[in-house]
Amino acid sequence: MNKQRLEMYFMIAVLVILVGSAVANYGTISKISESISHDPSGTNVTDGTVIHVIGHQWAWTFVYSNNTSTVNAFTVTVNEKVTLLVNSTDVIHDLYIPQMDVQSYAVPGQTNEIQFTPTQTGSFFFECVEYCGEYHYEMRGYMTVVN
Amino acid sequence: MSDYVNFMITVAVILSAVSIAMFGLYYMLASRRNAISKTAHQNGYDDVKQYRRDTASSRRSIISWDIFLDDDARSIGLRYLITSILFFFIAGTFGLTMRLSLTYSTPSLLTPDAYNVLLTQHATLMIYMWAVGSAIGLGYFLLPSHLKLWRDTRGTYASTAYWLWLFGAGLFLLSRASFRWYLYPPLSLQLTPNGGGLYAWLGVLGMIFIFMGIMVASVNILQIILFDRDKTMKMGEMSLFSWSIFFTVLMIIVSAPPVMVGLGMLFYDYFNPVFFTAANGQVLLFAILFWWWGHPIVYIAVIPFFGLIYELIAKFTDAKVFSYRSGVFGLGLLTALSMSVFGHHLLNSGLGYDWVLLFETTSFAVVIPSAITVFNWIATLWKANKIRMTTPMLFVINAIIDFIIGGITGVMQVNQGLNQLVHGTYWVTGHFHFIFMGVTTGITFAAFYTIFPTISGGRTYNVILARAHFYLTAIGSLIMSFAWSVGGFIGMPRAVAGYFPWFQPYQDASILGGVIIGIGQLVFLYNMAVSWLHSPSTSEDNVLDIPANVGPGKPKSIDKSVPDVPSESVL
Repeated sequence: MNKQRLEMYFMIAVLVILVGSAVANYGTISKISESISHDPSGTNVTDGTVIHVIGHQWAWTFVYSNNTSTVNAFTVTVNEKVTLLVNSTDVIHDLYIPQMDVQSYAVPGQTNEIQFTPTQTGSFFFECVEYCGEYHYEMRGYMTVVN
Repeated sequence: MSDYVNFMITVAVILSAVSIAMFGLYYMLASRRNAISKTAHQNGYDDVKQYRRDTASSRRSIISWDIFLDDDARSIGLRYLITSILFFFIAGTFGLTMRLSLTYSTPSLLTPDAYNVLLTQHATLMIYMWAVGSAIGLGYFLLPSHLKLWRDTRGTYASTAYWLWLFGAGLFLLSRASFRWYLYPPLSLQLTPNGGGLYAWLGVLGMIFIFMGIMVASVNILQIILFDRDKTMKMGEMSLFSWSIFFTVLMIIVSAPPVMVGLGMLFYDYFNPVFFTAANGQVLLFAILFWWWGHPIVYIAVIPFFGLIYELIAKFTDAKVFSYRSGVFGLGLLTALSMSVFGHHLLNSGLGYDWVLLFETTSFAVVIPSAITVFNWIATLWKANKIRMTTPMLFVINAIIDFIIGGITGVMQVNQGLNQLVHGTYWVTGHFHFIFMGVTTGITFAAFYTIFPTISGGRTYNVILARAHFYLTAIGSLIMSFAWSVGGFIGMPRAVAGYFPWFQPYQDASILGGVIIGIGQLVFLYNMAVSWLHSPSTSEDNVLDIPANVGPGKPKSIDKSVPDVPSESVL
């Protein structure tokens, strides 16, 4: 096999892989919800459940719209849009709910908004994945999805 | 408070001991210089430096105490190489200790605090002392012959840079900081044992010194490449290794200043918090300053070794690189793109759709130079008539395989949908350990084995033990990184001292891998110790001294007398 031919083959291989991945990526780009920094004064989201999530060393506090709150556990309704307003009172944390593909930094002085819609009932774990001090690993718990 | 005072007394005592040692070293250096100047005068030289230059080629580049006194490029290079290997073992021990402490899902062997300190030390020392140190070391060691230097007079700066870098690492080790290598401010400003560490400020100070050292060394190497190379050698004829070092130091010089400024501001924040606090400014500002450097550093940690892979392949296949131009272009494009991708470390921090799309696209573009480079290696191997499977060559082939695996698991993360699933999990840890264990660590060892006869004064290493070292390191890191990748994909967070019990199998598998790697390094130490006791039996010529991949149109000049050539393993 001569040099030009080999070179051509590897160019084609690279292009095929790149174009294939680009096409595969294109489908997901508009579908995911991602965290967007938000005016801390409030939210303009009116539909579904809105939960304020406050990260602090070393627990997550979830404040519902009726001003009740839970620590390291929260409950949402299936097939209903959930908006999380994620904030922190001390250092940077990162709320991560792997089975919902939800992840958002909790940054002091900044509110991040992220939305998702659970489609199954059950119990799902969440964790803090931004290192935040000695008991970082204890910032975890369960989200319960009910009917 | 008395704890604090006790610690400061300890620091003072250690620093005094270091100062005394430094004075002893200075005394040795001064008396040695005296002796050299005497010899120079006896030989009819008025200018001592001229004498050193004229006799440079006859001096042996061998590991001894002299390398800490001599200021020629090769001695400086050996100094960096030996120090970086020392720190590889220190940080590796920290890493193995962390691994073993994760035997149970709740912290029981180590306190979470101790775990976090080890986490910080392991990452920082591995990156700044091992990866950057060995890259700078091999650069200083090989550039004089690759570039046929016409003068070697920048040693004073190089030496200063080395000591600054080492001093910074010493401070960092003493600091017992627990803010990870990111130093994200609200945490690194918490001077408490369970926050950033009681003496986190000492860690920041250490980082400042490390950066000063790296920066001076980089400028120094850039000067060597630009001004000191042989007058007849054009840039376009430099070896690919010289090009890779050129791009590396360029990247350091361009990307380090933001984080150096950031570190200065962070240190100021300890006594007057104005920059990185939620009330006064933006806490994410430091993260952006940091990742401006933090992404290029991971390329800095691999690009020199890409250059070495080109050189080593040429040595052990007797074939020139498939395409010199695309080799240079690939490394150059990687350098240019490395500046534009830093945001992908902060995709979930609330950047918003447009910025995420930008950083996704630029990060995806990094595939192009990486693929050019990988295909260039594969094509070189493919076109070669034979491949001598020596120990360094095994490391090279393992590096290529590991880089492909690590590269693919890395580029997958630029899809934001997937990034939200794997960011902050062991997936990322697996991704970069594939590359750092395969490319950075593996190629440094490959180069070390190749130049071993030179730096040991003609000794040979035990081939069977070297093979054992290779297989244990390669298989151990494969098991460890794969276990992390699989665990991370189902949501196992990284940097934690404890974990949900159902992640146990993945943690156990990675502990197994870590222990195998650890045994492999002990084999390496034993091999070095035993080989050093043997008397010299081979030539001291450095096979890497002869650049194989010079510019297009130049005749290939390849030395075939490489030690460790088992005749049965020819592909």
